[in-house]
Amino acid sequence: MRGYNAASANTPRKRGQADADGLGTYRDGELARRLLAYLRPYRWPLIGALVTLPLVSGLSLLQPHLIQVAIDNHFVPRQLDGFGVIALVFLGTIVGEFCLRFAQTWLTQLAGERALRDLRSAVFDHMQRLRVSFFQRNPTGRLMTRLTSDVDAIQEAISSGVVTIIGDVITLSAIVVILLLKSPTLALVTFAVVPVLWAVTALFRYLLREAYRRSRTALARLNSHLQESVTGMTVIQLFAHEERSRDEYRRINRDYLRSAFSFVRWDAMLYAMVEMIGSITIALIIWYGAGESTRDLITLGVLVAFIEYAQKFFVPIRDLSQKYATIQGAMASAERLLQLLDRDELIPEDDDALPITELRDGIEFRGVWFAYHDEQWVLRDISFRIGAGERVALVGHTGAGKSTLHGLLTRMYDVQRGAILIDGVDIRRYRVADLRRLFAVVLQDGFLFTGDLRSNVVLGDPTVDDAQIRRAASIVELDRVLDRHPDGLDHRIRERGSNLSAGERQLVCFARALAHRPRILILDEATANIDTETEALIQAAIERMLVRQTSLVVAHRLSTIQRCDRIVVLHHGELAEQGTHQELMQQGGLYHKLVRLQYATVAAE
Amino acid sequence: MRYFGRYWIWFASGSVFLVATSVLGLMIPRQLGAAVELLRVASEAGAPVDMAAIGSLAWLVVALAVGACVARIVSRVLIFYAGRLIEYDVRNELFGSLTRLDPAWYQRQSTGDLTSRIINDVNNVRVLYGFSTLNLVNTAVTYTVVLSLMFSVSPRLTWLSLAPYPIIILTMRLFTRALYLRTHAAQERLSDISTHAQEAIAGVAVVRAFGMERVISERFRAAGDRYVDANLRLAVVRGALFPFVASIGSIGGLIILYAGGRMVIGASITLGEFVEFSAYITALAWPTAGLGWALTVWQRGTASFDRLMHILATRPAVADGEDTLAPARLHDDAFRQPVTFEDVGLVWEDGTEALRGVTLTLPAGSVTAVVGRTGAGKSSLVSLLARLRDPTSGVIRVGDVPLTRFPLRRLRASIGYVPQDPLLFSRSIRENIRFGELARQHDARGENGERAGAGRLRLEDATRIAHLDEAVTSFADGLETLVGERGVTLSGGQKQRVTIARAVLLDPDILVLDDALSSVDTETERTILEELLTIMEGRTTVLVTHRFNALHLVDQVVVLDEGQVVEQGTHHELLARGGVYAQMVERQQLEEALSA
Repeated sequence: MRGYNAASANTPRKRGQADADGLGTYRDGELARRLLAYLRPYRWPLIGALVTLPLVSGLSLLQPHLIQVAIDNHFVPRQLDGFGVIALVFLGTIVGEFCLRFAQTWLTQLAGERALRDLRSAVFDHMQRLRVSFFQRNPTGRLMTRLTSDVDAIQEAISSGVVTIIGDVITLSAIVVILLLKSPTLALVTFAVVPVLWAVTALFRYLLREAYRRSRTALARLNSHLQESVTGMTVIQLFAHEERSRDEYRRINRDYLRSAFSFVRWDAMLYAMVEMIGSITIALIIWYGAGESTRDLITLGVLVAFIEYAQKFFVPIRDLSQKYATIQGAMASAERLLQLLDRDELIPEDDDALPITELRDGIEFRGVWFAYHDEQWVLRDISFRIGAGERVALVGHTGAGKSTLHGLLTRMYDVQRGAILIDGVDIRRYRVADLRRLFAVVLQDGFLFTGDLRSNVVLGDPTVDDAQIRRAASIVELDRVLDRHPDGLDHRIRERGSNLSAGERQLVCFARALAHRPRILILDEATANIDTETEALIQAAIERMLVRQTSLVVAHRLSTIQRCDRIVVLHHGELAEQGTHQELMQQGGLYHKLVRLQYATVAAE
Repeated sequence: MRYFGRYWIWFASGSVFLVATSVLGLMIPRQLGAAVELLRVASEAGAPVDMAAIGSLAWLVVALAVGACVARIVSRVLIFYAGRLIEYDVRNELFGSLTRLDPAWYQRQSTGDLTSRIINDVNNVRVLYGFSTLNLVNTAVTYTVVLSLMFSVSPRLTWLSLAPYPIIILTMRLFTRALYLRTHAAQERLSDISTHAQEAIAGVAVVRAFGMERVISERFRAAGDRYVDANLRLAVVRGALFPFVASIGSIGGLIILYAGGRMVIGASITLGEFVEFSAYITALAWPTAGLGWALTVWQRGTASFDRLMHILATRPAVADGEDTLAPARLHDDAFRQPVTFEDVGLVWEDGTEALRGVTLTLPAGSVTAVVGRTGAGKSSLVSLLARLRDPTSGVIRVGDVPLTRFPLRRLRASIGYVPQDPLLFSRSIRENIRFGELARQHDARGENGERAGAGRLRLEDATRIAHLDEAVTSFADGLETLVGERGVTLSGGQKQRVTIARAVLLDPDILVLDDALSSVDTETERTILEELLTIMEGRTTVLVTHRFNALHLVDQVVVLDEGQVVEQGTHHELLARGGVYAQMVERQQLEEALSA
């Protein structure tokens, strides 16, 4: 059996189980390398942005120097000649800095946004290739978080931190060099503040992070209490639990308030103390610089410039640890995305898979066994045939395994024992895309996409033209529905088709199936109650759909069953009976009972 | 703005300290200027600098810095604390309102949407009262102090350096508006992406069956492209905004350098004043930049505030009124009376009729089963008993008293209700079973300051009656096992049995089972019912069901169809009649025979 087995098809991989907490699977180096691979196509704008970094730093650091020159060469000696030039150069640095900073942001975003779009698409495309069972195991919400919040966290880091952090480092080192050149001793005195500043920042950042973490936890509890209470409000009211719920909420709210208070407190202290240290540095420069200047070691201009530089020195130091935290968050998100990308529960396809476009002979189920979990068999040893041109009805009570059977046929799942053959060849030998194109499936709940009626019938298949849509629509009498909406095929469909009735949605799905001119039609008849008028409409549509069409129908209504050539009765995952309506009625077995039940229902309603 | 009133003292004293911060902080440049002037005069005269004077100036700067630091901490703490206190109050009041609003109100909102809207709105309100207030006050204070200081140095230079400010403020306003609009646009593109992804995941079966993978990937990529475009439009604003903010200070610096420089050279101001002035204009940069942002946040905050106040102002449709009986006037057996429905009708808001002309008596101490097809109105009928909604027409009475005259919470506390949807909370199984009991104890403690007496039934009895004991012992933590996301996932049948135990433990006068045993196998259903009916001896029980095996146990069966009572009688009477009920029973027997 060429390596198809239950283990590879249905056991989630070990790595997947780490998904909930999921971190620490990759080393930082590998993470960075794989992320950078997405930036590679956009390296030119990125390099451009990197080039602007030292230029911006340079221009911004030129300004204090200009003031120094103005003071020493013009203000103190009261010399107006050439002063205009300095003002012009100063203006130049402002304009230049503005333009370069703008270019820097723009180029970074250009590269970053496109790279992230690629990453997002890559994750999405990968999800398109994963097995259906993957989606049953992973809640939609979690997958959505990957595609939105996690990508956004990286985006946030790119737009706010990563690139400017390089700029910050350049600025800081440049200031150090400049100050040392201007006056080594005064520079060292100024730098004496840095360890203090660093320590204060680190301490309060730590306290802040702790407070923030606690307030996040409290807020999460608060919100989930709210969410749960809103969902369960009826129960809360039924059991007169309002007072107690309110008290519980108030208690969590108080925890949240307390942690928020400490966050506010540390934040205020950090902010105020950094400002204070800045002012004290000025005092220090005045005091020590005055001594230096009396000994003629520095000029007055240098002293003023020092004060300006010291202020430019503070901002990056204050922000560095903030940026670091953003980057860490982004790395965690990146890791979760890469984990998803590394899932490889794909549908196996041979390299030399066969093409198929027509059904010549028929479909054969040969001793098929299938279980979703381990050995809990949903289907046991099922064998039957659907000849070309034949219409087969699948009948059985709820949970008999009818829907599983057509899922196997279209390879949503693979059989565990036995085989399904089309024209004598195992379906796993065909190309998956080709195989699926043979079928058109109408599922119980007609899923509609946001868009218009046309796109919901075409489903992106370029070979389906308007004429085909109209023919399909007229066969299932969807055209009557279309006539009701003035914009016809362009009629807008809201999310999940919520602006159509259940019956209309069914008809759209019918038309969709027929428009694709399937070789085999798979129809999973809806069991839901609809009003009698729509019911008649749908019955008529089904009748016309089945004319001269190879079909496998999971049937619930007697009228549908009787329109088929042969009936296969499933019972607890096993094939109980098969034959024509007359044959099975004469046997007086399970089918006979089912028909009686059906009549009882009809009478009861 | 009643919350400002509640905490006005915090805001007022916070503002006072904010003024102190500004005054103290802005006195530093003057000392700086004085020091520079001392140095310049000394160097011009070639005389030694008065180091003692410099030293005292430096100490003064340190003192001012420390003072400003303390004032800044106090002001921020006061104003931000007040913002947090308001947030705390708003949350509590909001939650209180939510617990009073009736199910019909909730049905009009979509749940996920409601919660996230509230969370988002409360956030905006917090920012409104904290950040926004602080920034607006701070801007006003800083401007006042800085301007008066600047004027005291040189009115001419002040006017000159302020010249670009109207334009700067106007530009900032435009920037923040554009920033807001484009952020909004980008967010909408992002929600398109979410929609696409959501559909691709939810509709995965259709996608695979029709081989749409490539098409849908292309659509997703196109949505991604539109998002990139929107983000790049946003990047234009952001890219210009931040350097612009940074250059506000520099532009002021340039004006002072040029105009002020000429004044220094022309000796109309001193070098020290020049240095002092430069520092003032720098101090204006951030408040100016923050002003536009604070205004935008303010607008968003007030809009959110209005939405929240709207919820707070909504009056619940089901509530106690003026004619509600005083609890003291209710006898202990007030609910052990026959329940009568008199010509009861219920119409949904969209105009569809759920119940029409239902007239019915549930004799005191009797057991009634309500049966009928899906959508026949069974759940609606029993939900009226607990006043989850009130009937559109007709009256329901317990004894002689209309349901609406009972105190709502007293009424509900007397009813043990097992809803169709077995909703449990993410707590331990024990707490879920004791949900109603704990609420009772809680209320009693509040009123009398002492623990309420234990009911007739103990927890063990309730778990036994609901056939939970076996399931519970199979969990490692027994009754302490957590339910839900972080605990075990109970099966549908287990959940239903917990909800039954929860209702039974209340020892109710009226027990309502709304299709409460649908996920339990027939055998267990029968034993649970038998036990329930034994302990409910003498109380009124109503059960909605789809199964008929155990209905010979009940006193009367009511058959509903399209909101009307079509048949009524004992199980055997109705079987003998051979009507709708008899057909439903026959059909079910066949079904059972088939799936056996």
